[in-house]
Amino acid sequence: MRVEIRQAGTTEEESAIITAVKMTDSIKSAVDILRDNAAGIAVSLGNDTRIIRNDLIYYIESVDKRTYVYTKGECFETKYRLYELQDILGFNFLRCSKAMIVNIRKIRSVRAELNARMSVELLNGERIIISRGYVKELKNKLGV
Amino acid sequence: MNKVKLIYNQTLMISTGILFAMGIRAVVIYFLKGEYMVNWQWYIPISIIIAGFLCALASLILYREDDNKKVNEYATKGIHFVLVCGIVSLCGYIFRWYTNLREYLFIALLYVIIYVCVWVYSIWMFKNDEKIINKAIDEIRDED
Repeated sequence: MRVEIRQAGTTEEESAIITAVKMTDSIKSAVDILRDNAAGIAVSLGNDTRIIRNDLIYYIESVDKRTYVYTKGECFETKYRLYELQDILGFNFLRCSKAMIVNIRKIRSVRAELNARMSVELLNGERIIISRGYVKELKNKLGV
Repeated sequence: MNKVKLIYNQTLMISTGILFAMGIRAVVIYFLKGEYMVNWQWYIPISIIIAGFLCALASLILYREDDNKKVNEYATKGIHFVLVCGIVSLCGYIFRWYTNLREYLFIALLYVIIYVCVWVYSIWMFKNDEKIINKAIDEIRDED
């Protein structure tokens, strides 16, 4: 597909138009990526509430019925439940265990463990686990 | 439901493994003693299924709903190995798969070979998945 990129003056002018015969998987992925980068979720840090862009999220964890959103160096709380976030967040987010969702674009590398789990190193150096039941879904998302 | 599925799949796999081992035994006996016929008692086929089912039950010690729970993987594998060996030995004794020490040692040797082969194959599969996933992640990873 021919790709043309034009310089925009401001971030408000940024837009993407895709002209295609039909919606293929790769086009859908591209749309998801473009939407993810613009979309965000409401989070709070103490009394401060803000919108955090999806592409800044590393992973989301549920602990004691509370949901925490982790970015490169910060941790926020959100009112959403994990199952809600699974619907809200885009294609790049993978449910990696009962209590966690990870942004697959923030994965530096994975390492297979003896029990079929995957140990994941994120770009910020943190390590998380992908349970064996979710490894197949990761492979599906990556198209391998 | 996952546990039922696991036990069902494991029963089929282990039963096939035992059948394979008994087939090998028949081949070895043919070459060593030149016996063309293998006589099986009426209960041998069902004994294979029962042994498969019991070994599948033992596999539950490797299965955990919560993959993040800290357990000693090597100790668990060791316990599983000994437990399954015990089940195979007991079934062999009850169903007369062996009648003397030499036959028992042969079955024990086959068990060790099959157990090791299954784990080597599993580890190879996990490592292969690791390589494929890391390669795919390299292509979509965000910049650090």
